Amino acid sequence: MSISDRDPKTGGRPAAPTLLARAAAADLRADRRLATAIDDAFLGDDGRLDDRARAALAVTLESLVGGLETTIRAHAARLLTARALPQLAGLIADGVPALDRLRAAGLLRDPELMHELIGRVRQGLIADALPIEPPDRADQPSLLARLSRDPDQRIARGAVALLAAEAHRKAPIVTGTTLRTDLPAAIHRRLIWWVAAALRDVAAGDIDALDRALAEAAQRSIAAHDESDGLEAASTRLAAALDARAEELTALLTDALADQRLSLFIALLGHALGLGYGDVRDLVLDPDAERLWLVLRALELDRTAIAHIGLALCEADPRRDIEHFADTLDSIAAIAPEQARVAITPLLLPPDYRAAMLAVARGVRA
Amino acid sequence: MSAHEPVLPLVRGLVGPDGRLISADQRLNDLNARAGGALGEPLAVPQLARLARLAQRLGILVSRGVVAADGADDLQLWVRAEPGAAGVSLTITGWSGRPAWTAPATSGEAEHAALAADADWRWETDAALRLTFLTPDVGTRHGFDADSLLGQPLTTLFLLGGDETGGFPILGGLAMRERFEDQPARLRATGEPLRLAASPRNNIRGEFVGFIGAVTVERPDSAQTIDDAGGAFAARLDTALRAPLGRIIANADSINAQSDGPLRQDYAEYAADIASAARHLIGLVDDLVDLQAIERPDFHVAVEPIDIADLARRAAGLLAVRAADSKVRIEKPALGEALPAHGEFRRVLQILVNLIGNAVRYSPEGGVIWVRAEREGAVAAVIVADQGKGIAEADQARIFEKFERVDPREPGGSGLGLYIARRLARAMGGEITVDSAPGHGARFVLTLPAA
Repeated sequence: MSISDRDPKTGGRPAAPTLLARAAAADLRADRRLATAIDDAFLGDDGRLDDRARAALAVTLESLVGGLETTIRAHAARLLTARALPQLAGLIADGVPALDRLRAAGLLRDPELMHELIGRVRQGLIADALPIEPPDRADQPSLLARLSRDPDQRIARGAVALLAAEAHRKAPIVTGTTLRTDLPAAIHRRLIWWVAAALRDVAAGDIDALDRALAEAAQRSIAAHDESDGLEAASTRLAAALDARAEELTALLTDALADQRLSLFIALLGHALGLGYGDVRDLVLDPDAERLWLVLRALELDRTAIAHIGLALCEADPRRDIEHFADTLDSIAAIAPEQARVAITPLLLPPDYRAAMLAVARGVRA
Repeated sequence: MSAHEPVLPLVRGLVGPDGRLISADQRLNDLNARAGGALGEPLAVPQLARLARLAQRLGILVSRGVVAADGADDLQLWVRAEPGAAGVSLTITGWSGRPAWTAPATSGEAEHAALAADADWRWETDAALRLTFLTPDVGTRHGFDADSLLGQPLTTLFLLGGDETGGFPILGGLAMRERFEDQPARLRATGEPLRLAASPRNNIRGEFVGFIGAVTVERPDSAQTIDDAGGAFAARLDTALRAPLGRIIANADSINAQSDGPLRQDYAEYAADIASAARHLIGLVDDLVDLQAIERPDFHVAVEPIDIADLARRAAGLLAVRAADSKVRIEKPALGEALPAHGEFRRVLQILVNLIGNAVRYSPEGGVIWVRAEREGAVAAVIVADQGKGIAEADQARIFEKFERVDPREPGGSGLGLYIARRLARAMGGEITVDSAPGHGARFVLTLPAA
């Protein structure tokens, strides 16, 4: 900022036309604000994000997009410098944040991206709020520490990998290293291209060279992405290694919740049912939870086990109602496993088919 | 619940399947009676009745913290409700008056953050002291296989040593399940010397479930101070403080401006105080970053042709609003007056803003500050004179020292401004001098090589 801009005697003058223009547009802005406020007032309560989830979602978005942006900017700037375009390299090294541009373009409303991120954020918030149960004996390690010493190497390695993946998710992203987004490959790829496209709008210069550099930087980030690195993948691998028999599953599920490992809980259910992680996460995070109770009954969990799981989830998730759960527990326990298995068969259909059914239903309703 | 609180005897009671209190220890019976209940009648403390009913219906042990009203007071109770054949047995521990405000017991986030702020890296354990978390890239940075240590006992990572008095702070921490710090240790894999600190993690019932710990690497020159730390210190200070302070100021200003709705006037004024204190801290950060820069051996200033009469006008202009607020008039060099000299533009401006700012601060209401540019042979000088209370001869050397103030009783200022200003002037081949007498104002003279 130049000195004269801060001088109170001259500071006001250049702003005057802008001020007049803004004043002229004030009616329109007030109208838009009113529309937003009206929308806000009549938003349905069902499905709304609470403040914690909204804040966590904003932080997640910021760190993901910000991290990808930093990586792409740095790599593109290196490429441009190597190609003797230092001025362009300087321009791409900083500029309008990609997040602002993507938000303005409305791209972040993408249902698949938001489904993934909201699921991840809710999973994280609930996991953090799960009541940790101290072990029965003071020297008994927690679930994953115990599994990390399992004689079966696949299980031991899987438990260590899950601890490492949890640490990655929890610790702030360290700048200067390659960013791990833990996103499904398709969403990761889409987000990278969006960020690259949002960065191309620098003021001046050789736009072709810039496009080439950004595209190369984006492709490099896509190539470096390994879906199997993430927390969800690590949980799924551990669940597969454990390959729990029915009688072990109950204890593992309650122990996973008591150790705040919601991702392992989800993966254990997924493995037992043969369902994908994302599908099981949806039904575990659903505050109404009817599908979850059916699934637990289909896996032959008894009343006590379901009570433990329901209590833990109600304690951790303010959207759930413990009184309602206690009222329905008897009817949940009364469902025969065969009956429950029949009721959840639609869940076991191919995911694409279910997505298509949902799309058709949505269209008919509209 | 901290380990230091006296351990109260357990209080027990039994609630029948129909919700009636079958038996109760004295304390529970009294509490129930004060709530209007009696043995054989439905349990009259609503929170306890609800918990008993919940445990009854779920058929499993439910354990929770409960806040119950007892007359005009609140009681904080830790209750275990366990259903059995005869009904639900209640076991109550931690019977205590509820403090005015309690931090959420689960998170420990504040302590966590406080530990992490100073730490090089972090670790966490479960209740059996098995490692459950290590800062992700710590292995790469410090040369050991971090992932293979996850799930292992804490002692496979650290080799513990005694502190200066031969004690082991960690032992006290483990025994009492409380915060410990300054535990000397070595990284078992590399022998790197470290200091450990940790605070306990508790679950919602206040039960110990592990430690959250921080590691500080012991550097050979461990007696580092602000003065001799590397440039990294300044960079960290800058990023660690400036952004949060900026947020504090922005939020406090918007509270003060009542932009989200009306507010009681005194609260709005507190917000203004908060903003002004935070601005003061940002000023201090600026000073410390400058201080750090000028005390580095490789510090240099650019020497370029400048017009210090113009700079004096600009500096006076920058302070015009503050002067008007204090009802002080600044007489600056006339427009068109020029005095060429050698120095770095922004550094000279910084010095002049400091000198004139001091003059504004110490001027009486209605006072005048004279800013003049004069050439004396090979030297170009800017003179800043005020009508303040002046500086005693004995103090005139002291005020140029670090963390000294013209008047220590005055609020505001870091005590670094004049020290930094003089160091900058000297780096440009110039000097700052003062002459003053108590009651007769002060005259600061900045000299630079004339062009």
